[in-house]
Amino acid sequence: MITVEGVSKRYGQHLAVDDISFRVDDGEVVGFLGPNGAGKSTTMNIITGYLSATAGKVTVDGFDVLEDPDQVKRRVGYLPELPPLYLDMTVREYLRFVARLKKAERGTAAQQQERILELAGITHVRDRLIKNLSKGYRQRVGLAQALVGSPRVLILDEPTIGLDPHQIIEIRNLIRDLGHEHTIILSSHILPEVSAVCDRVIIINRGKLVASDTTENLGKRLHDSSEFRLRVAGTEEAALAALAGVPGVSEVRAQGTVEQGTVDLHVETAAGADPRRAIFHALSGADLPIYLMTAMDYTLEEIFLQLTTEDAADSAAGSAAGSAAEDVDAGGGEA
Amino acid sequence: MVAVFLRELRSYYFSPIGYIFMGFFLLLAGFFFATDNVLRSNPQFQGVLSSIIFVFLVIVPTLTMRLFADEKRQRTDQLLLTVPVSVTGIVLGKYLAAVAVFLFTLLVTVLYPVTMSFFGRLPGWEILGGYVGFFLLGCTFIAVGMLMSSLTDNQVISAVSTFAALLLMWIIDFVQNGVPAGTVPGIVFASCLSALVVLWMYLATRSLVISAAALLILAALIVVAAFSVEGFYETFIIDFLAWFSLTSRFQRFMGGVLALSPIVYYVSFSTVLVFLTVRVIERNRWT
Repeated sequence: MITVEGVSKRYGQHLAVDDISFRVDDGEVVGFLGPNGAGKSTTMNIITGYLSATAGKVTVDGFDVLEDPDQVKRRVGYLPELPPLYLDMTVREYLRFVARLKKAERGTAAQQQERILELAGITHVRDRLIKNLSKGYRQRVGLAQALVGSPRVLILDEPTIGLDPHQIIEIRNLIRDLGHEHTIILSSHILPEVSAVCDRVIIINRGKLVASDTTENLGKRLHDSSEFRLRVAGTEEAALAALAGVPGVSEVRAQGTVEQGTVDLHVETAAGADPRRAIFHALSGADLPIYLMTAMDYTLEEIFLQLTTEDAADSAAGSAAGSAAEDVDAGGGEA
Repeated sequence: MVAVFLRELRSYYFSPIGYIFMGFFLLLAGFFFATDNVLRSNPQFQGVLSSIIFVFLVIVPTLTMRLFADEKRQRTDQLLLTVPVSVTGIVLGKYLAAVAVFLFTLLVTVLYPVTMSFFGRLPGWEILGGYVGFFLLGCTFIAVGMLMSSLTDNQVISAVSTFAALLLMWIIDFVQNGVPAGTVPGIVFASCLSALVVLWMYLATRSLVISAAALLILAALIVVAAFSVEGFYETFIIDFLAWFSLTSRFQRFMGGVLALSPIVYYVSFSTVLVFLTVRVIERNRWT
C-alpha cells in the first residue's frame, strides 16, 4: 500500500531524514516510534505530500507522491502533529469544509459526517466554535477531519498527545477499530501505546531507520527479560541461600528492604534461560513467600541506546527491515 | 477551489477585517463624494475613485495580509496542501474571495452616481471607465498583497510589505521625471539589470554554464538594441520604471477610453503575481 524508498530530507545543513525505506501493506497498522526530533513528522509530511523529499521515492497504492499527488491525497487522511483547525468555524462547518475540499460525494456526506462525529466522540460539541474547545477535543476534531472521505490510508501524527488518560484509551480503541478498514501509520514516542494498537513497529532515531519488527517480537524482547526484581518475605540471608543453587540464575543481589519484613532482590539469569518456575519452587521450599516478581522492563530510551550503538557499528541503517529485525533480537540477548 | 473561495468569503464575513476594509473604503468614498461632487455640483464621479487610490494603498493590506500568513501560522496549510486540491486552486480561491469582497464594496458606491443621475446628465462612459479601471487596479493591488502574504507567516510583516510595495509603485509616477535620461545612463542601467538577472539565475541554478550563457545573451541584446533601435536607451530608465506604474494606466480609463492595452497590462500583471504566489507556496515544500 505504501512504499518508502531511500527517502532523505535535508533542511540546510541538517539531515532530518536519512535514507529511510520501508513498506506498509494493505490493512496494516504500523507504529512509528522515535524520540522527539527523530524525523517522524518529517517522514509523515513527505508521505502525505506536504513536504517534498530531498531524495527518494514514496508511493501510495502505486501512485508516486510527486507525479500523481492528487491520486495519493485522495487516498490519504492526515492528522498532523498540530491539528490543522480553523478556530473561527464550528466543528460541523469545519468538517463540511473538509468534505468539500476532499470532494466527498454530496449525497453521502451528511450521513458520513454524523458517523464521523460519533466515532470521534464529538457529536455533542458539533455546533461549538473550535476556538472554544479544549485541547483534547481539538485533537478529536483533527482526527475526525482525517476520517472525512473515508481514505484508505490514515496517517496520524501523535494522535493521543494532549489527551487525558481516559481519552487516550478511547482514542486507542478507536484506532484499533479503524485498523479493520484502513491502513494506518501512527507515530508516537510512547512505547506501550504503539504495542497496544499496532501490528508492526518502525523505530527511527536521528532520521535513520533503526528497527522494524512486529509488536509481538518487540514485546517478547521486552518480557523475555533476563533480569528480575523479586520481593520475598523473609531475611536477606535466607533468600540468598535459597536462590544460590537454582539452575539458570547467574547472579543474585540484595537490594535492601522496602516493605517491612521483606527483602528486595535483583536476579540476573543466564542467557536464554527462564528460571522463574525454579525460583518459585526454591523459595516456596524454603518457606519464603514471593510478594513480587517482575521483569525489568526496558524503557524506550534503553532500546534506543542499544539499537543506535549497534547501528553505528554496521552503519547500514537502511539495510532493509529484515536485518533490522534481527538487531532487535540480538539486542535483547545481550542486555 | 470553490471550497477555499467560500471559506475565505465566510471568514471575511465573520471577522472584523472585511468590515474594516469596507467601512473605511465607503467612508472615504462618501467623504470624497460629498466634497468633490455634492458641494461642488460636479458630475465627474470618476474623480472620486481617483482620489481614493491613495487611501486604497493603505487598506488593501488589511484585506490581503491574512490570506496565507495566517494559514501558515495556524498550520492549516497542512490541511490545504494534503487534500486533493491543486495549489493553483487554493491560490485562485483565496484571490477571488478577496476580489469578491472588493468588488462588492466597489459596487456599493454605484449608489452615488445613480443618485446623481436623478438630478442631471452624467458623463456615463467616463464613470464606467473609471469603475472598470479602478476594479482592475484593485485586482492588481490585491495580487500584490497576496504574494506578500505568501512570503511570511506574520500578518504585520505581510501588511507592511504590501503597503511598501504598493507605495513604491505609486511613487514611480512622481520619481519618473527625476531619473536621468540619455544613452549612457540607459546602457549602464540595462547592464546593472542584466547583472542582477544573471546573479539571480546563478543563485537559483548554481550552474556557471547557464549563467554564463544568460550573460552572453543579455550582453548581445544590449549591444544589438544600442545599434538597431534608434533612441532605445534615451528613455530606457523611464520606460522601465513605467512598466511598474500601476496608477498611470488608471488615468486612461478615466477619460472614458476602454483601451485594450491597459486592460491587458492589469490582467497580465495580476496573472504573473498569482503565478508567483503559486510558485512560492510550492517552493515551501522543498525547504
